[in-house]
Amino acid sequence: MAAFLSTLEVVLEDGFVYAILAMGYYLSYKILDFPDLSVEGTVLSGGVIFSLLVSRQVNPWLAMLAALVFGGFAGSITGILHVKLKIRPLLCGILVSTALISINLVMAVAGQGGDISGEGLSTVSIGRDAPTILRSFPFDLIPYQAGGVNLRKLVGFLLVAVVVKVLIDLYLKTKSGMLLRATGDNEKFVCMLAKDPGNSKILGLAIGNAAAALAGSLIAQSRGNANQSMGLGMVIIGLASLIIGISVLGKIRFLKPTTMVIAGAVIYQACLGVAALLGVPSAYNKLIMAALFTAALVASGRFGNRKGALV
Amino acid sequence: MIRLEKVTKRFNQGTPDETEVFSCFDFSVNSGEFVSVIGSNGSGKTTLLNLICGSLFPDSGKIYLNGADITPLPEYKRAKKISRVFQDPKAGTCPHMTILENMALADHKNKRFGLGICVNKKRTAFYRELLSVCGMGLENRMETPVGSLSGGQRQALALVIANMCESELLILDEHTAALDPKSSETIMGLTDRIVREKKITTLMVTHNLNHALRYGHRLVMFHEGQNVFDRSGEEKEKTSLDEILNIFNGISIEKGC
Ligand SMILES: Nc1ncnc2c1ncn2[C@@H]1O[C@H](COP(=O)(O)OP(=O)(O)OP(=O)(O)O)[C@@H](O)[C@H]1O
Ligand SMILES: [Mg+2]
Repeated sequence: MAAFLSTLEVVLEDGFVYAILAMGYYLSYKILDFPDLSVEGTVLSGGVIFSLLVSRQVNPWLAMLAALVFGGFAGSITGILHVKLKIRPLLCGILVSTALISINLVMAVAGQGGDISGEGLSTVSIGRDAPTILRSFPFDLIPYQAGGVNLRKLVGFLLVAVVVKVLIDLYLKTKSGMLLRATGDNEKFVCMLAKDPGNSKILGLAIGNAAAALAGSLIAQSRGNANQSMGLGMVIIGLASLIIGISVLGKIRFLKPTTMVIAGAVIYQACLGVAALLGVPSAYNKLIMAALFTAALVASGRFGNRKGALV
Repeated sequence: MIRLEKVTKRFNQGTPDETEVFSCFDFSVNSGEFVSVIGSNGSGKTTLLNLICGSLFPDSGKIYLNGADITPLPEYKRAKKISRVFQDPKAGTCPHMTILENMALADHKNKRFGLGICVNKKRTAFYRELLSVCGMGLENRMETPVGSLSGGQRQALALVIANMCESELLILDEHTAALDPKSSETIMGLTDRIVREKKITTLMVTHNLNHALRYGHRLVMFHEGQNVFDRSGEEKEKTSLDEILNIFNGISIEKGC
């Protein structure tokens, strides 16, 4: 029972965090039809930037904002590579995430006073005295623990995910957001509105990666550090959560796609949680992820078209 | 208004498929003119419209809009002054968005697309009124995704959308070809009304010779990238269907088709 409860706790926590990443993917992959691999780097960037800043006692909300802005910047580079230099989407993501491997390492080492060409710590730890969002207002009003469950973390992460969801929903109703949808739907139409569809794409990728970096900063807070391997598998987690959410819940008309995506992220983590409960060693996690993603892709191909749940 | 000067356009240059659609081609349309363009398949009508709108760029030559050289201007910048209905009914609307959303987007053309809410429910009555003129019942289906409309309905919507905002040049590429005879007449009548009311310069490609004769101040026939017939005003009014057909057939026979 205790094992079950603690697994459930981890499933929900991780589910809420990765839901933010997956909602970013909703904009780039689902709406813009752009398979964006750069999140593999931006998630870690978000974690590193956040951890470095709060270790220096910067306000955690400001630190999260900094992570978000950096993610947006990296995403816009992906977009610019595609739109202005006409490089294919997959390659743009590979280029940016590869460049970010170095940038993240340099930030982590140099940010902790290490020597880039010599010794240095590549993992950025968040010390016990460092402020995180869970240790500051308004989350410090929530009891830290309740009934053996880390209540504050659970509610805190859920709230952040819900805020992101509401903001994305609102954004998609604005003129800029509708133009983004139109860009994914029919670029010619956007041209006829005298708008450059390229700009919409760059903006969409910036938002998607800003969400990824935000998720990264939460992952670092959850684990207590930002480690250079943190970005691995983010593309799969984001895409699988998105596709599971939309293929499982896509038929329910009154649900917003962003709600489906949050549910998808939790379902995805639940599958991993069940595997853990069954005693499957965590070394198999990435293999299970790939298998789950394949299953989700097959299911979404069978039960609905790619944009079926868009409206 | 619009002027093409010594425009040359080739496709697949340097391959065995090379086709030269226009060579040193000159063409101009005066302000306020309604020009109907006819011509056989592959004679370069769509290519001409693409060159004017900036979907294609000439290999050489210049294109002027109101005296300004727009040759290097990208399509989206030219769209500020040009509105267009495509030959393909799918091209003029967003399939996964509703009629209302499509119209709300078009309503903001040439304005900033910022963070204000896009769909203004107060405008719905106005959108409905615009749609009711098509006589297809579209005004009662505002929440329908455009992708589930028929080709003809989508094309009618595309025409309405193209004319929601002021523009200086209206480009129509066989915009009634996908419609049934009755809808085709309705849309053609609507087109004529819009053009008269707004006094907008119009370039309309059609395969319907009756429409070409009945509507517009000027009739142009293309053949293999050349302007082989060009009449306007009274001269055009006097032109009969038989005469056009004869010229049309004459060209085809000459080429042995
Ligand atoms: N993108 C393209 N690539 C290669 N060739 C093209 C392209 N677009 C047009 N062409 C060629 O240019 C010529 C003119 O085509 P265009 O589409 O302008 O004809 P059209 O007069 O509009 O014909 P239709 O009445 O069938 O619409 C054709 O021979 C066509 O094969
Ligand atoms: Mg054509």
